[in-house]
Amino acid sequence: MNLKKSSSPNQIKTPSSIEPPNSQLPPKVAALSSTEWLKANLFSNTFNSILTILSTAAILLIIRGLLSFIFNPLRQWSATATNMRLLMTQAYPEHQYARIWVSLGFLLFLTGVSLAFWRAARSVLISQVGKRLLAIGAFILLVTLLAPFSDRATIIWLAIGVFIAGTGFLLKSAQEDKTISSMTLLSGTFLLAILSLWVIPYGHHSYISTRTPKILAEPGTVAMTTKLPWTIMLAVTICSYFLGSLIRDKIDESKGKALLSMTWLISPLFLLFLVLRDPDFDTGHLFSTDIPIFLFFSIVGSLLLLWLTNPDIGEKGRVISTAVLFVGFATFLFQMLMIVRILTLVLAFFALAAPTFSGQKPARIRYTKVWIGTMVILCWLITAINTPSTAKVPGDFFIGGFAITLMIFFFTMVLAFPLGVLLALARTSKFPIFRMVSTTFIEFIRGVPLITILIFFSVMVPLFLPDGMDLTEIAAVTIAFIIFEAAYLAENVRGGLQSVTRGQHEAAEAVGMTNAQKTFFIVLPQALRVAIPPMVGQIIATFKETGLLAIIGIFDFLYIARSVIPGQTEYMGSTRENLLFVSLVYLVICFAMSKASQRVEKRVGLGER
Amino acid sequence: MQSSAEEKSSTLKAVSQRVPLWRDVVVIKWVTQLALLAVVVSSLWFLAGQAGDNLQARNINTGFDFLERPPDIQLSEGIDTSPATGGRALWVGMVNTLRMAVVGIIFATFLGVIVGLARLSNNWLIKRLAGIWIETLRNVPLLVQMIFYFAVLTALPRVSLDSGPINGWFHVSNKGISMPRVFISDGFYQWITVVGVGCIAAYFIRKQRLRKQDLTGQDTHAISWSFFTVCTFAIIGIFVHPIFGFIGEIFAGLATLFENIPTSIIKILLSVILIFFATRWIRNFFASRRSATGHLSLIDDDIFRMVFVGTGALIAIIVVVSWTGISSWILNSGRDLFHMLEAKFEVDGAARPFDAMKPDIVKPGKFANYGTSGLTMTPGFAAVFFGVVFYTSAFVAEIIRGGILAVPKGQIEAANAVGLSRGQSLRHIVLPQAIRIILPPMGNQYLNLTKNTSLAIAVGYSDIVQVGQTVYNQTGKSLPVMAIWMLFYLTCSLTISVIVNYYNVRMKIVER
Amino acid sequence: MTENETASSIRGDRDLANAQDIIVCEGVSKWFGDFQALNNVSATIKEQEVVVVLGPSGSGKSTWIRCINRLEQHQEGRIMVDGVELSNDLRNIEKVRSEVGMVFQMFNLFPHLTVRDNISLAPIWVRKKPRAEAEEQASSLLERVGIPEQADKFPGQLSGGQQQRVAIARALAMEPKIMLFDEPTSALDPEMIKEVLDVMKELALSGMTMMVVTHEMGFAKEVADKIMFMEGGQIVEIGTPEHFFTNPTEERTKLFLSQIL
Repeated sequence: MNLKKSSSPNQIKTPSSIEPPNSQLPPKVAALSSTEWLKANLFSNTFNSILTILSTAAILLIIRGLLSFIFNPLRQWSATATNMRLLMTQAYPEHQYARIWVSLGFLLFLTGVSLAFWRAARSVLISQVGKRLLAIGAFILLVTLLAPFSDRATIIWLAIGVFIAGTGFLLKSAQEDKTISSMTLLSGTFLLAILSLWVIPYGHHSYISTRTPKILAEPGTVAMTTKLPWTIMLAVTICSYFLGSLIRDKIDESKGKALLSMTWLISPLFLLFLVLRDPDFDTGHLFSTDIPIFLFFSIVGSLLLLWLTNPDIGEKGRVISTAVLFVGFATFLFQMLMIVRILTLVLAFFALAAPTFSGQKPARIRYTKVWIGTMVILCWLITAINTPSTAKVPGDFFIGGFAITLMIFFFTMVLAFPLGVLLALARTSKFPIFRMVSTTFIEFIRGVPLITILIFFSVMVPLFLPDGMDLTEIAAVTIAFIIFEAAYLAENVRGGLQSVTRGQHEAAEAVGMTNAQKTFFIVLPQALRVAIPPMVGQIIATFKETGLLAIIGIFDFLYIARSVIPGQTEYMGSTRENLLFVSLVYLVICFAMSKASQRVEKRVGLGER
Repeated sequence: MQSSAEEKSSTLKAVSQRVPLWRDVVVIKWVTQLALLAVVVSSLWFLAGQAGDNLQARNINTGFDFLERPPDIQLSEGIDTSPATGGRALWVGMVNTLRMAVVGIIFATFLGVIVGLARLSNNWLIKRLAGIWIETLRNVPLLVQMIFYFAVLTALPRVSLDSGPINGWFHVSNKGISMPRVFISDGFYQWITVVGVGCIAAYFIRKQRLRKQDLTGQDTHAISWSFFTVCTFAIIGIFVHPIFGFIGEIFAGLATLFENIPTSIIKILLSVILIFFATRWIRNFFASRRSATGHLSLIDDDIFRMVFVGTGALIAIIVVVSWTGISSWILNSGRDLFHMLEAKFEVDGAARPFDAMKPDIVKPGKFANYGTSGLTMTPGFAAVFFGVVFYTSAFVAEIIRGGILAVPKGQIEAANAVGLSRGQSLRHIVLPQAIRIILPPMGNQYLNLTKNTSLAIAVGYSDIVQVGQTVYNQTGKSLPVMAIWMLFYLTCSLTISVIVNYYNVRMKIVER
Repeated sequence: MTENETASSIRGDRDLANAQDIIVCEGVSKWFGDFQALNNVSATIKEQEVVVVLGPSGSGKSTWIRCINRLEQHQEGRIMVDGVELSNDLRNIEKVRSEVGMVFQMFNLFPHLTVRDNISLAPIWVRKKPRAEAEEQASSLLERVGIPEQADKFPGQLSGGQQQRVAIARALAMEPKIMLFDEPTSALDPEMIKEVLDVMKELALSGMTMMVVTHEMGFAKEVADKIMFMEGGQIVEIGTPEHFFTNPTEERTKLFLSQIL
């Protein structure tokens, strides 16, 4: 109580969302007496003084070693820079590159709108920004002095460092209560980065002017080809942010959020299979097979579901939907188009869930609409996947590099999540056989390393498939990832499920809910909220594990960096440079994800409890 | 009132007895479960059948005979670099994996504790450094780290005969890191027997000292006493260990015993043990379901559990009885174990328990390399080692920090209030509680570390996965090799989790 | 005698003799492992009757009323609720659950839903009412329990007494014929007990059949038509409040009353 009271006047002045880096010290005190701060934090006693001196020496040595490694004339940083396209998309055809920019632009558009809808902007104290800039400037100065730069480079970098530090110093003494939106800061940073593309010809060039006296930029390297697209991307993002904040106030916010979430879920599928892959549709097949199948299932399915969502149907409905489920499984025993099998199974699950969502006419029609929507997406995707691609590239798959890493990551997360929830529900169910099957599966998967599962799937899957069925290696490996991550996510979700008290179950039962309704409306919403932090941890782990693709010889980010680029004659022995770049990319993304998740946790209020 | 109830119930009786099957919750429950089981089993059956057909069509033999046949494999390192059989090769791989796991766990714990404490330090610089260490290492994928360390190590200068060891102690080159080696010599097993006797003696001495402490209230230094006992025995052991050579005879006897027991006795023994445990379980189960008045109330799940345990035991007995391989494997491995121990104790006389040697450089063929006398970390080993140790240390550090911070401040205040010193409150109050929080996630990290050693395949360290891949590339026996992998890792995981659970349970009891 | 008067004044003159039996229990027994929680419990409750179940803790009161809407399963004997026997029949369980409302000791409100959603969720999904109608009903129920202004708050923002009143409203939203109360005031601070008891009294006056497990003797004297005393999983004594509090027959009842009064 005391603590809160003493801190409250502070909070009136400064917006509560700001977290000063060292919260134990109010900024004023630190600014007033830096010697005292040094004494308290670095030289409080003999032991600490010794530690400080030793670690300062170590830091200086390490930085110097790193710098002399990075700026060594023998380093081939151009290997990474000139191969950026290979690292990102492998051999995606150059004349179709606009597709990649379109996809990226769409995702950035979504990002902008979402940022506006979820009100991600917060206000940051300008003096705080100034402090940061001062620190960054000081760091640049330190590095410049330690690094083996040429005279000219040293002067340029010193000037940059002084400029940043100076700006920081000016901003630092700004008024206490002046704030700036974090979005403005962010777009400003990106704007600077993109501006640098116009000014500095990134690409084939060296920082060491003693070795190559002139800064060379070759046509077709990074800066030349990407400056215009990146500028457009930034413009798209900023515009969509403003658009988002405009729409936000006009429409029902929760509905907008739901729509956005759905779009986020579906758009990668469409971008991948329709935009990037550019399927070469066979109209004859489309009209003779795909559309009739779609029509058949949407009509028959709608009628069935309309009937099953009748509240008075009783057990008859259960028996019928069980029968549909059996038909769904039986389709796998006969020669049949895969699309029919999948749709029958999906229909069976819709039928089983029908009593949960039954009700008056509007509810029934809504449920049927959901069914037709699902059908549209499923049929569209299945058709697109089964159609040959016009994006012709050498090798198995039309895209590689970082793009395939992202793709497999996305598919893993989207499909492992529902599977994980199902496994967790089975593991905590009242049915002993469900528990046994699920526990065995989860513990088996968790007991063996991912690499053995990946090798198993990439080597053995062709052996387990019936004749006529075919699975590319990428698909097999993605399934392996999904199974593996589902087992881990299931354990996280189980933790959440166990945190839902018995009383909640009983209350739901006492008002007459069926098991499905209880799970869907009462138990899962509470359980998933508790499971968010461990699940985000697991998502980050999954992202890191995508690197394992390199071991089984898929042309992912790491594989290209480690094995493909060092194989080029002009870049022999550039492994370390490429790997450092790969590490940096992973580091930045994972770090950003974990920081973002911490913020989300705070906002949801999970940190309290 | 009585009469009306009777009336009601008599009208009820007629309708109530018949619950239609499709509406009976118990029937629905078990039909659903059996249906799921049927789907799972039949799809597994289907896939297995498909695999069998495909294997036959491609003329791939899935037997385990390759374990006995000589492979054409050279391993980069291990207890046996040119194994005589496929089984031996896999064994070498397992030993390499375990070696990496054990060494990794020790060093990762050590480093992690230091970093975790540094993160809590009141020195700003140290705290920040530890933070950077943690955030960097845990956010870069382990595989990328390993490959990077490997690339750095292999880019080091080449080793040659004239690049002789620096002062004969330590040498780093593109062939790895070589350092002096302390190793077990011939007299070790006799000596460790002496130390074992010392440990037993120390246990009794400690007990006796503690009893005295309880009685008199004085500090009797029980820990120091037992420590010095062990040390004394260890020192004496160096001189007197040859007299323990007779233990070899005991092992020889045991080996002969195992050689002469017929397999049928083992079968009977195993069956009796199984029957004993199954009946005991069922008896206890009944006892826990019987009320004081002798009424037995069993619900459907109880019956299922009994049927499950009973069938499981029955199947296990049938397997044990009909598959002689199991019994003879037990006998053979027992015999081999005791023969090996016998050989270890046979060495006589003046042999020392330990020896040490400096690294050396040899040039057997075209290229120079480290010889066998030093302890050499090959680049592959070093890359995996640094990879798993650094990566895991970041996670361990966070666990340690979290565990110590999780001990409520009130506990320390309470300890101060009853007059404990800072050291005493740390030892008796903070640490016991912190360890209770730290232990389960630590067990998880150890499990992860063990599994992560499998990434060694990327840098060519001969662990079980890498050896296995080489073996199946040579022989085409991918299915059996993968089965061995999975079995091996499952055993490791199970062992670690059993140990951790054991400690967890013990901690809990201590807590109460 | 004064208590008797208040009781009759609150409950009015209702002819319960001709009322239908709505809950019939016959030789109900239940075991938890080797512990017998209910031992041959037989009792009948009529429509519009208010029954208070008393007894020391661990006497099986809660287990019994939880058996009545099948949160627990009885193992022997028979329970019939409004003409439907509780058995393994799915249809019967669903019917009984939607006709019997229950209020718990720990409220068990759904913390992730607003008060309005807490009340309207079951009518929408179980009774299949249109959302607008269900929400209207929720508002009027909140009015009835006296907290209409709290509709858009989350349960965590309410006091214990308010939460328990929301719980009562949630149970009433299903339009039950019978209400079960499992120690509804035990988890409340003393000053909040009254507001919950007032709601319960109002409910009793409106003619709801109620079965209440409680330690509130005042409520029992004032409102109950019948008091059942349980011990060791058995019903020891059944009687009207004045009989029970002034002139109990059984020794065990006398002992219990002497301890608590």
